[in-house]
Amino acid sequence: MTDMSIGLTGLAVLLVLLTLRIPVAFAMFAVGFTGIALLRSFDAATGLLASESFTLASSSELIVVPLFILMGNVATSTGMSRRLYDAAYALIGQIRGGLASATVIGCGGFAALSGSSVASALTMGKVSLGEMERFGYDSRLSAGSVAAGGTLGILIPPSTGFVIYAILAQESIGRLFLAGVLPGLLLLSMFVLTITLLCWALPALAPAGPRTSAAQKLRALGGAAPIMTVIVLTIGGIYGGLFSPVEAAAVGAGLVILFGILSRTLTLAILWQASRDSVVTTATVMLILISAHMMNPFLALSHIPQAIGAFLGGMDLPPMAVLGLILLCYLVLGCFLEGFAMLVLSMPIFFPVIVSLGIDPIWFGVLVVLTLEMGLISPPVGVNVFIVKSIAPKVPLGQIFIGVIPFWIAMLLTLGLLIAFPSISLFLPDTMIGTG
Amino acid sequence: MLARLDRWAAGLTSLAALLGTLGLLTEVVIILVDVVGRYFGAPLRGAQDITTMTMVIVVFGGMSLCDRLGGHIAVDLFEPAMPAWLRRAGDIATALLGAVIFFGIAWTVMESAALSRMLNLSTNIIQLPKAWFQTVLAVFSVITGLGMTLRALSLLAGSPRPAEPRSE
Amino acid sequence: AEDISFAHFVPPQHTLTSAVIEPLAEAAGSGESELEIKVYPGGELGAGPLEQYVRAVQGVADVVWGLPGYTSSQFSKTMISELPGVRGPDGHGYELLWDAWDAGLLEREFPATVPLALWLAEPNVFITKDREIRTPEDVEGLKIRVSGSAAARVIESLGATPVQMPATEMYNALQTGLIDAIVTGSSAIGDFKLDEVANSYTLGPSMGQISFYVVMNKARYDALGEAEKAALDSVRGRTLSQSAEEGWFARADQIIEGLKSKEGTTVIELSAEEAAPFNALTEPLTDAIAEEVDGADVLAIMRGDG
Ligand code: NA
Ligand code: NA
Repeated sequence: MTDMSIGLTGLAVLLVLLTLRIPVAFAMFAVGFTGIALLRSFDAATGLLASESFTLASSSELIVVPLFILMGNVATSTGMSRRLYDAAYALIGQIRGGLASATVIGCGGFAALSGSSVASALTMGKVSLGEMERFGYDSRLSAGSVAAGGTLGILIPPSTGFVIYAILAQESIGRLFLAGVLPGLLLLSMFVLTITLLCWALPALAPAGPRTSAAQKLRALGGAAPIMTVIVLTIGGIYGGLFSPVEAAAVGAGLVILFGILSRTLTLAILWQASRDSVVTTATVMLILISAHMMNPFLALSHIPQAIGAFLGGMDLPPMAVLGLILLCYLVLGCFLEGFAMLVLSMPIFFPVIVSLGIDPIWFGVLVVLTLEMGLISPPVGVNVFIVKSIAPKVPLGQIFIGVIPFWIAMLLTLGLLIAFPSISLFLPDTMIGTG
Repeated sequence: MLARLDRWAAGLTSLAALLGTLGLLTEVVIILVDVVGRYFGAPLRGAQDITTMTMVIVVFGGMSLCDRLGGHIAVDLFEPAMPAWLRRAGDIATALLGAVIFFGIAWTVMESAALSRMLNLSTNIIQLPKAWFQTVLAVFSVITGLGMTLRALSLLAGSPRPAEPRSE
Repeated sequence: AEDISFAHFVPPQHTLTSAVIEPLAEAAGSGESELEIKVYPGGELGAGPLEQYVRAVQGVADVVWGLPGYTSSQFSKTMISELPGVRGPDGHGYELLWDAWDAGLLEREFPATVPLALWLAEPNVFITKDREIRTPEDVEGLKIRVSGSAAARVIESLGATPVQMPATEMYNALQTGLIDAIVTGSSAIGDFKLDEVANSYTLGPSMGQISFYVVMNKARYDALGEAEKAALDSVRGRTLSQSAEEGWFARADQIIEGLKSKEGTTVIELSAEEAAPFNALTEPLTDAIAEEVDGADVLAIMRGDG
């Protein structure tokens, strides 16, 4: 068999294993390991299994995963999340789907704090899913909002996705961060619009709440003050240079624990249970990330991306057609690969093609990050969907994938808008830093 | 016999999760001490060394408990359409494959630990030996693999399918 | 033709390609050899630089590029080359590393591999935002990002606070003021886009430099045919290392020239006299650290008086 056919067979086997209900992480381990052993050697496969397991489990960037889960868990078990959603409900509960919109806006805000979609979906999911259930929201709508809203983490700066893109493409990090702002806000608005339209068409998805008086609104807002304070202090600390985005996760967790103790809502037993739950969720999420990193060397060794790149480079098509085909490749690869792994694998192949066609690399960066976000919620390997599943184990995975479909369509429309109007991406960097 | 082994495995699982939980709380404390200390010009020496290595305990400490609680995510889209025998076969295959993967991780990481000792690998600032934490990772993986082996055996012996996933 | 896989963790357009991979590939296919170098850039064969050496030993890749400083405990003797003042102003880092290698003093730190190249980067510099460093007093009390324990000691000797963080976080940290300065080679200014947030650079104080290796799995090397081995041997050692070091210096010069012509940017080049007060604090560390790792003999050879 050729390297290419081993690669394609591996992807087919992955699909079959997933269909047969083999856990996602196990299926990716099995396919990645066997593929590497066939394409290179058994020793290389065992070497990678050991090194990827240890490297990711001891990564200084991924420490945010357990810490933000802990923050969300403690905020939930001390009633802070509840009071936050009581406030949101008092303010906009009478609008159908208002809480789902508030959650997506919350995801946008959290994205300004965290550089990662995983962290955004985990924390916002912990805080919001139970609350939306309490107010009678359909689990497909609430799960879809969190899975899609969480992806804003890598479009709105700071963003690990843009940092990795910038380093691989040797482009400006500052320009990319600025370029992500308006598309991030546009996508956020598209999500809110999606929720509004969904709830207008299907009122059963989200019951409207009662109208509330100004006094009730004020009282509810007061109740949300502690968690609002934590969020403001944490975001302020990052931009004020007191701590890094990674450390912010620990500061946020520490602050909610402190508030819980001061308000006597957090006992040692509750803290212990919240931490233990966090460790279990961490295991779920990290095992998927580790196994996704076994798929990456496998596909690199199969040379499938190179073959696609050579094929695209050899065709005599107008630049916009090539751009469209490349983005299509990203959408397809995004079904199988974790976002950052895909970026590392594809950039050396696609980026030279983009440059040779004279396509603006900053603009391309925004488009790529948006397609990565779509990959995070595309089946079969949709990391953000898995994260929502890890927080809401009772909701069937299929229901979550159904819930994200409208949001996926909203992202596709946004992608179309960003392609049609490059200035949405380039306006801020060009005016604030200047062209070139 | 299986029941007694399972009690043992449950005990080991709890112990691993306990260490993972302690590790997580340690992470919070270490980072806070480092952040506050740095503000006053005295950051915690080797804070990043400690947090990255403790992370190994957090991530793999909860692995066995996660599996016991049915926390590993599978695509359940086609489950309703599957005959009972196929679901059962899937459960057994999952448990066996999981056991192979976790014993595989344990074995390869122990091989790497031997290499770490040969290369004298340790963290950069306060020289925590890498092999220690690789060994911890391997031990937690063995515990996870044991739990899966027992589940496969009890499924093969005819016990009913595991309960629905936990609720929180 | 036979393939040799080369794994690294930077983009294909990095200096590494022109300074190391291309000359290596040319030599590998020279004479009667038809060896081809297949490159896996950007961490395609495994994430992150920490496990690079291990990847070569385990055969994940045949050849890897890496930094001893990421796993300094393995390379305590090699790392002596990174200390302040070991490489003189006109010296060549690769020469002093290969002198130590030829004397048999470094071999034990490279088990199961064959080094193809060992070299030193351009000198470390101060990278700062909204502050200028001209005297050691300017450094006192600053929070400075460092990558390893030796660099941390150098920073401490100047009365500053060393801060550990991943390289990808430097940009944000300098921008928000989380750190006041970064000490690293000037080529990192381009690699991590630090020029977008920094606006002052101080060159001249003796603060050491980063070292690099390119190693090949030993079993793979031994199994090569005579022609293939001869082809690799034609470039292995000082030849490839010289090309690498010159490439790094050229890139650093190009970056510094670019900074000098950049508006709102200060490039401070300290004279030997101005640098002396810094060096008086940093250079004594070199003997002390060499002593601690039982490497006085290595230091002597590297300094050329062994
Ligand atoms: Na973000
Ligand atoms: Na996907």
